[in-house]
Amino acid sequence: MARLAVTGTASYLGGRILRRLVESRGADSVVAVDIASPPATLHGVRHRMVDLTLPGADRRLVEVFEEEGIGAVVHAAFFTSPRRDAAYAHELESIGTLHLAAASAAAGVKHLLVRSFTAVYGARGQNPGFLTEDDLPDSRSKLTWVTDKVEAEEHAFSFSRRYPGLGVTVLRFATLMGPGVHTFYTRIFSKRVVPVVLGYDPLVQLLHPLDAVGAVEAALAKGPSGVLNIVPSDSITLLTALHLSDKLTVAVPHPVAYPVSDVWWGMGVGEAPGRFVDYARFPFVADGEKARRLLGFTPRFSSRDALSAFLEYRYPESARRARRAEEAEA
Amino acid sequence: MKATARVEPVRRTAGTKRRAPSSRKRASRDEQALRSRLADLERELAGRRDGRDREGLLVTLARVADAGVRSLSWATLARLQRALYFAWHSEDTDDFGADPRFTETVEPLLEFLYAVWWRVETTGIEHVPAEGPGLVVGNHSGVLPYDAMMVQLAVRHEHPSRRACRMLALDMFALLPGLAPALAKSGSVRANPDNAERLLRRGELLGVFPEGVKGVGKHFRDRYKLARFGRGGFVRIALRTGTPLVPCAVVGAEEIHPVVAKADWVGRPFGLPYFPLTPTFPWMGPLGLVPLPTKWSIDFGDPLDLGEYGPDAADDPILVNRLSEQVRSTIQRMIDGRLARRRSIWLG
Repeated sequence: MARLAVTGTASYLGGRILRRLVESRGADSVVAVDIASPPATLHGVRHRMVDLTLPGADRRLVEVFEEEGIGAVVHAAFFTSPRRDAAYAHELESIGTLHLAAASAAAGVKHLLVRSFTAVYGARGQNPGFLTEDDLPDSRSKLTWVTDKVEAEEHAFSFSRRYPGLGVTVLRFATLMGPGVHTFYTRIFSKRVVPVVLGYDPLVQLLHPLDAVGAVEAALAKGPSGVLNIVPSDSITLLTALHLSDKLTVAVPHPVAYPVSDVWWGMGVGEAPGRFVDYARFPFVADGEKARRLLGFTPRFSSRDALSAFLEYRYPESARRARRAEEAEA
Repeated sequence: MKATARVEPVRRTAGTKRRAPSSRKRASRDEQALRSRLADLERELAGRRDGRDREGLLVTLARVADAGVRSLSWATLARLQRALYFAWHSEDTDDFGADPRFTETVEPLLEFLYAVWWRVETTGIEHVPAEGPGLVVGNHSGVLPYDAMMVQLAVRHEHPSRRACRMLALDMFALLPGLAPALAKSGSVRANPDNAERLLRRGELLGVFPEGVKGVGKHFRDRYKLARFGRGGFVRIALRTGTPLVPCAVVGAEEIHPVVAKADWVGRPFGLPYFPLTPTFPWMGPLGLVPLPTKWSIDFGDPLDLGEYGPDAADDPILVNRLSEQVRSTIQRMIDGRLARRRSIWLG
């Protein structure tokens, strides 16, 4: 049987995907491709060190794929948080996917599964209530964090068009939230005081990592199926989420919020550059209907469940206190 | 002190409403009704459970007062802010962001505007379908979407089925701070073909003002002259979904903020498509935002059933234009009739 390669296994989601695949298919049928080694707890998983940002990465990948007999690739080497060295992020995400897609086509890989984000649609006031896969990603976004991902998706599809043997699935995951997740988003949810945009309260979707991993499994079982949104069963407004996590919110008018967050980001204090304020102002809620239809994937967790799971992980003492209070009541 | 009982994961079967109904055609209507009833019950139950978990605003205020100002901490402030927020917001919204508790909270203010300030007289409410999809088409005016709120309230209060009428809001309102979340929470969605079609297929009642920006920012001298009805998008969606169109004439709203001149260049840096000058705005500051207490009437006309044309007719631009024009002239006629009978702007 053809083996499966997972890239970005040192990342949170990549690591989770690797672990799940090892559990379901056995350690021998999975290969971790990353510059860093996978979690030490995963015994027997073959690790091949490849740096996707190096010029010869595609040749090296072809060697690896042919030696290991790879039939499908899960590409999870993406940054979930914005980075200050945008050039490196571009090399890894956009160019790295180009190398990977080229190598997959050359090595006769049947299925390339690329991890992406619903944030690529861009947060805009004009967005419909539910973005579907027919809506175009925001390729003209001012955020390189977004455009790198859009380019990565395009690279994958352009190779799939040129080499019909290579099928591509792009899973656009909603914002991850849950135990163990560390992104700029969860870091914001770990602060005591959180700035919000005055007069805006958009709906957000928080995806539990178990649902994300479940969707990857379903997509691998189903085979190439194009772009799919993977979203939780419902949405929650941003302020509801923040207040449920007992944050003190400070409302900032949006004309001030953009430049101030840019300055903070530049000073190395902020979590994200100014254009990210869009994501706190406008909704980018995606529709999971296509994944339900094609993969039979139904999310098990709502946004609220994902948030509760994250809070229980992040603030175990207050969760314990709440449980004690409940027991006392009963 | 009892802290967050909420951190415990709450298993709710949210999203029940969005799950696609059974493919079996027969009895699917009953099943849908049952499903929606079940979803309502679940929502209510979740609401009760949330209510039990959470301290109310008064309790929190009392606790803070009891603890004394000197012992104020970030956590206390956060708790106070949370109580304030949830005093008028539900913890659950529907999938488009409509918030029942928010609607409940602002309703008294809207009722005041409806019954006292504008003394709205509503006729023909029986033309609004009691169940199933419907598209109320009205004339837009009044600078801010007061007419939409009043039509929404008229349907909710005067119609025997007390059904909710979701408004299709202009993109421009979805961009404005304060107004954007308020509209979303009171059930409006952005005027977008995808949104409209999704909601109509679910059998919901929608309200639309096809004049759009041209109507809402109308000059005072153009009052009660209907502007172009967009490009007939609302007719296309009604044809595609087989939805009846209910014409609706709002008289009185066009005089609440008489736009005597426009200074659009003032609003442009703030992303506003127009900047109206009225006899009171912006000269009198915030007082200029108070709408004039005119006498209103909202008339619903005979519904126009588009079922006979079939969904393919949506691709026929000539038919779409003709129907759009037909609806426009119906509303114009209704307005003209009302204006002819009206003796005073203030008393009707």
